[in-house]
Amino acid sequence: MKIMPCPLNGPRNIQEFICAGPVEPHPDPSRCSDDEWAEFVWLEENLAGVVREWWCHAATSYWFIAERNTVTDEILATYPADRVFSERVDFAPLALPEPPAPPEPPKAPAPPPPAEAAADTPAGDAPSDDALPLAPKETGG
Amino acid sequence: MMERLPEPAGLLLDRSEPVAFSFEGRRYQGFRGDTVASALAANDVTVLSRSFKYHRARGIHSLSGLDANTLVQVGPAPNRFADREPLAAGLVVTGQNYWGTLRHDRMAVFGLLHRFFPAGFYYKAFYKPRWTWPLWARMIRRIAGLGSVDTAAPHGYFDKQYLFCDVLVVGGGAAGLAAASQAAAAGAEVVLVDENAALGGALLHGRFDAGGVRTADTRTALAGEVEADERISVMTETACLGWYADNWLPLVRGNRLYKLRTKALVVATGCLEQPLVFRNNDLPGVMLASAAQRLIKLYGVRPGRRAVVATASDDGYGAALDLLDAGVEVAAVVDLRTDAPRSGVGDALAARRVPVHAGAAPWEAVPQRKGPGIARVRVAKIVEDGVCAPTVDSFTCDLLVVSGGQAPAAALLRQAGAAIAYDSRRQTTRIDALPAGVFAAGGVVGAAGLDGVIADGRRAGWQAAAHAGLDAGPEPAAAPDGDAPATAKGVWPIFPHPDHKAFVDFDEDVQVHDLEDAIAEGYDHVELLKRFTTNGMGPSQGRHSSLNAVRVLARATARSVDETGATTVRQPIVPVTMGHLAGRSFEPVRYTAMHFRHLEAGATMMPAGLWLRPEYYGEPARRQALIREEAKNVRDNVGIIDVSTLGGLDVRGPDAAEFMNRMYTFAYLKQPVGRSRYVLMTDLGGVVVDDGVACRMHEDHFYVTATTSGVDNVYREMLWYNAQWRLKVDVSNVTAALAGVNIAGPNCRAVLETLCDDVDISPEGFPYMGVREGHVAGIPALFLRVGFVGELGYELHVPASQGEALWDALLEAGRAHGIRPFGVEAQRLLRLEKGHIIIGQDTDGLTTPHEADMAWALAKKKPFHVGIRSVRMQAEKGLTRRLVGFEMPGVGVEQPKECHLVIREGEITGRVTSVAYSPNLDRIIGLAYVAPDQGEPGTRIEIRVDGGRMVSATVAKLPFFDPDGARQEL
Amino acid sequence: MTAPAEQTRRSPLYRALAEDGARFEALGDHAVARDFGRDAADEAARAEALGLADLTPLPRVGFKGWNAGPWLAQAGAEMGEASNRAYPQADGTRIARLAPGEALVLADRAGRGPLIESLRQAWSMAEADGCFHVARQETSCWLLLTGAHAAGMLAKVCAVDLRPGSFAADSIAQTNVARLNAIVIRGDIGAVPAFDLLADSASAVYLWGALLDAMAEHDGAPIGLAAIGALLERG
Repeated sequence: MKIMPCPLNGPRNIQEFICAGPVEPHPDPSRCSDDEWAEFVWLEENLAGVVREWWCHAATSYWFIAERNTVTDEILATYPADRVFSERVDFAPLALPEPPAPPEPPKAPAPPPPAEAAADTPAGDAPSDDALPLAPKETGG
Repeated sequence: MMERLPEPAGLLLDRSEPVAFSFEGRRYQGFRGDTVASALAANDVTVLSRSFKYHRARGIHSLSGLDANTLVQVGPAPNRFADREPLAAGLVVTGQNYWGTLRHDRMAVFGLLHRFFPAGFYYKAFYKPRWTWPLWARMIRRIAGLGSVDTAAPHGYFDKQYLFCDVLVVGGGAAGLAAASQAAAAGAEVVLVDENAALGGALLHGRFDAGGVRTADTRTALAGEVEADERISVMTETACLGWYADNWLPLVRGNRLYKLRTKALVVATGCLEQPLVFRNNDLPGVMLASAAQRLIKLYGVRPGRRAVVATASDDGYGAALDLLDAGVEVAAVVDLRTDAPRSGVGDALAARRVPVHAGAAPWEAVPQRKGPGIARVRVAKIVEDGVCAPTVDSFTCDLLVVSGGQAPAAALLRQAGAAIAYDSRRQTTRIDALPAGVFAAGGVVGAAGLDGVIADGRRAGWQAAAHAGLDAGPEPAAAPDGDAPATAKGVWPIFPHPDHKAFVDFDEDVQVHDLEDAIAEGYDHVELLKRFTTNGMGPSQGRHSSLNAVRVLARATARSVDETGATTVRQPIVPVTMGHLAGRSFEPVRYTAMHFRHLEAGATMMPAGLWLRPEYYGEPARRQALIREEAKNVRDNVGIIDVSTLGGLDVRGPDAAEFMNRMYTFAYLKQPVGRSRYVLMTDLGGVVVDDGVACRMHEDHFYVTATTSGVDNVYREMLWYNAQWRLKVDVSNVTAALAGVNIAGPNCRAVLETLCDDVDISPEGFPYMGVREGHVAGIPALFLRVGFVGELGYELHVPASQGEALWDALLEAGRAHGIRPFGVEAQRLLRLEKGHIIIGQDTDGLTTPHEADMAWALAKKKPFHVGIRSVRMQAEKGLTRRLVGFEMPGVGVEQPKECHLVIREGEITGRVTSVAYSPNLDRIIGLAYVAPDQGEPGTRIEIRVDGGRMVSATVAKLPFFDPDGARQEL
Repeated sequence: MTAPAEQTRRSPLYRALAEDGARFEALGDHAVARDFGRDAADEAARAEALGLADLTPLPRVGFKGWNAGPWLAQAGAEMGEASNRAYPQADGTRIARLAPGEALVLADRAGRGPLIESLRQAWSMAEADGCFHVARQETSCWLLLTGAHAAGMLAKVCAVDLRPGSFAADSIAQTNVARLNAIVIRGDIGAVPAFDLLADSASAVYLWGALLDAMAEHDGAPIGLAAIGALLERG
């Protein structure tokens, strides 16, 4: 069973880890084209050679990066993620227009507006620009 | 005729302890130290099994613990190797794979009909005419298989253990012993593993010098040195199952599977003696030279009265001398080589006046007319490779000892990635290159002669210790030239016969002509040939057949053996039982703090991921009624449910709200402190993956719930995203830290009031969707007002260690109101009446928020949440299905089940995701995916239920019950 | 002596301990097993050979965040830079540094931990500043495995090399034990090898059973605080 040298925990059996695929820059979802986005989500380069990959040590939920040769399966280096991701990432305000409502199904009446019961908003609280939830949760399964 | 020899023969026996056992219903006696096979041999039992296809009688062939001729049923355990199974008092052993008795197997008729059962016959039979197949199938089920499984047999106790060492030496023969000692001398922690009960390997049975004494003395000296060395951990009767990455090797000994990690590996597994291929080479009475030597030396059994020895190397000569010393008459030695042997064995044999026939081969073994065994051997001169002259000499004998040369037992090296080539001159394989950390020594790398093998072992041990980082001192001296026996030109060992029955693979009854016919049919790749003929696929896994099959293929396709290649050797190298792989049953299970209270209340528990939750409280016979009663009690009165399994995450820091905004679809930046808000999570593809409630405890602190099965993934995903975003936020998974109870029903406020001093739970003081911190019955608690089941309700989160005390306090305080615990099934019914979806039940791997009518949970103006672009793209594409409510009359109609399909005009347009009969509404209600144009309330849909029947349902507006939500907002 | 059910805080193992004959004493608003009704010398001998104690009732607290190290330092904790090391404190507690930004503070073997209380008091959400409190008292159960056979037994349930030569004193391994995520800390008691195990509190009953099963080979048995105290005295 392969040994993975974890930057935090040292060399460990690879069974202790989860591989989350190649490190890829995320396109800005509000500025990229549909094709760029779809490619990012669904397609993988699947390189034969040295790739940089995300790995997680399951017991500690510690994420790090490994450089691995996908042909020989040799692990060349492992290091903390901040060696690659050292800057804070922010998302600029929306560039796209309001997203369209989904096409109406035939003959469907307008859905009832979500209940904004007065009891929900204590006096003095500025109303937020988003609807309060209709179906609050304590989940089931 | 075989019989027991007097002492000192029988190294492994303890003759002071006779052991009684039975075989095929007859009683026999052996000694402690015997295997089942050796004890049977001592009692002249020659037939141990019936071959797989032709049901030919088979006996001892290699006696090496890995050859399928010896497969027997030992008590409830099928397929034990009789030559590995230690003899124990009272063992009940039977043969396998026969109809009638082992000696008179009625299925031996298959042997007579062998023309109809060549290799691969089943690919071409049994299917015409089609109607005959069920008849064949029944017959094949009865006939096929080896051994029988006793389903009532008691389970064994198996165990596992991890081991670590500097140097692992696999193989306790001369090379392995030398390697272990050398590595230990360098300070290494050494583990030495050997399959046999005693150390020595080939030294236990071989005769490497004419006199025979030096071999035994060498064994004693080397083994003694190892056993006395405290740094060497000796594991005998231990099998190595294979090699895995970074020198990880599983070992099996007794009932334990060891998983060993070593810094350096020395493979000293020696060689496997190979058979000769000629007509009737599989009869009982034909055995390998090493088998005869093992019988004599280890078990004190004389393997026959009068023998012929056929050999392709000096090994046969040593065996002949051993036979003579044991009192066996040796009628002739048939040496396939034309050059004379170079070691002293040739002279020693000449001195005993045994005639040697050089350049000849066994042509045919002739069976006894009555009973098993051979009567004589026909021998012919070799004209060229595989071809004999027509004139034949005949020798009467009851034992034919054969030695077709040695093939390295290189399975471990192959798995480790060694480069292995075939040496055409020596007619055997050769190791060309080894990967880092792996070393090999002795017969497996072709070292020869006692001194050569020992020196090679020391070299490997020294290299291994150095690789493990130890100071190993100067390299040990290389082998002196000397007593290396002749290993010059090898011999072609395959002699097909016009009347066939020249077996290449005994396990699968594969003959030379089977291989040739398959090759002629086009199966001319080594892997295809193996699979089509099944050569090498039996319990011996090609140990005695792969090399010969490759030779046949090479010849038939005019290639060298090297060009022809070899089949892949896979783990496990030796058979391993399911028990060893399973070990002890390690099945983690998670209990809530109230788990035992549920059991005490008679709950029927159900798994929810690793957790156990109460499904309902009471006997399974009353399941439906109990669920309905529990649900009714919540609607009319007050009930409590243990919701501890729900995930809980603490998201804290100056960027907590920003982080929430990015992870979930809704808006959180302006969520007021002291309020809760729904959370919905989508993945990169825009698919709904989790939901819950976020409570803002502080400007910089959100406490977020998640689904039971999703929280661990959500936590990991959050950490992954922040590893890239580097926001000033910390996420902690506190699921197990908090026990949770949901108290719900019109009377729940009355019950809670009696227990809360410091929280105002009036409707004005604690509005719907509010969050408070305080105490319940003195226990610190987080209060959430939520409405999953559609009633006035409070979710109480307390430290897990106080969960049981909280549960007790609530039941006590609610006693006067008739409070009752309710389980998961009642909760599912209640939430269904409100049309609330359950992630993973009503959503699947493709459900987008728009499909599930959750577009209201998508914030309109934020620049980002995980999956935002995909959600928008999906919305633009338009819906292909919708999740809607449906209802059916409460009586007279068959209730659909989850996953029953919605069908319109022969096309599937959707499926049912949740469905239940609601006594409250006296209707069947449910949720289902339908086509977008079927989503209008009032539309009739058709659902296909069990048996293919169609039932009608009507799409209904959600929720089914209390549409204004008045009850939960009391 | 006290009964666990009389306390509001209960270890998930109290029933299993009671079934094995445990006698409990109060520790704060918890109940901890003092002994198992056997002769004191006998229990101490067990602890020296192979014993398992439930320390879940004993105080502990966690802190994590990008500023956890500095915050703890200014609050009185003495830690080195290395992660996966346990640092003994002056008051007998130990601080297990799990990562640059995460630490776990454990009471001493008798259940005392003034530092723990003072850290809890010192921390508030309002002044958090990159260091956050983690309720280790509740998220994790805490078991103590002692004895000469401890490392050998752990080799049946854990794939990390925990032998004394490979796993030095005060070393920490965050890994899997019996298929659970667990923190293993080497904390010998005098000359007696000992390992602290912290794992998911909801899996405590399962883990207890799995470990006792693995201990059967060497006649391992549950032990209480009294036996641990005896080991401490021997030094």
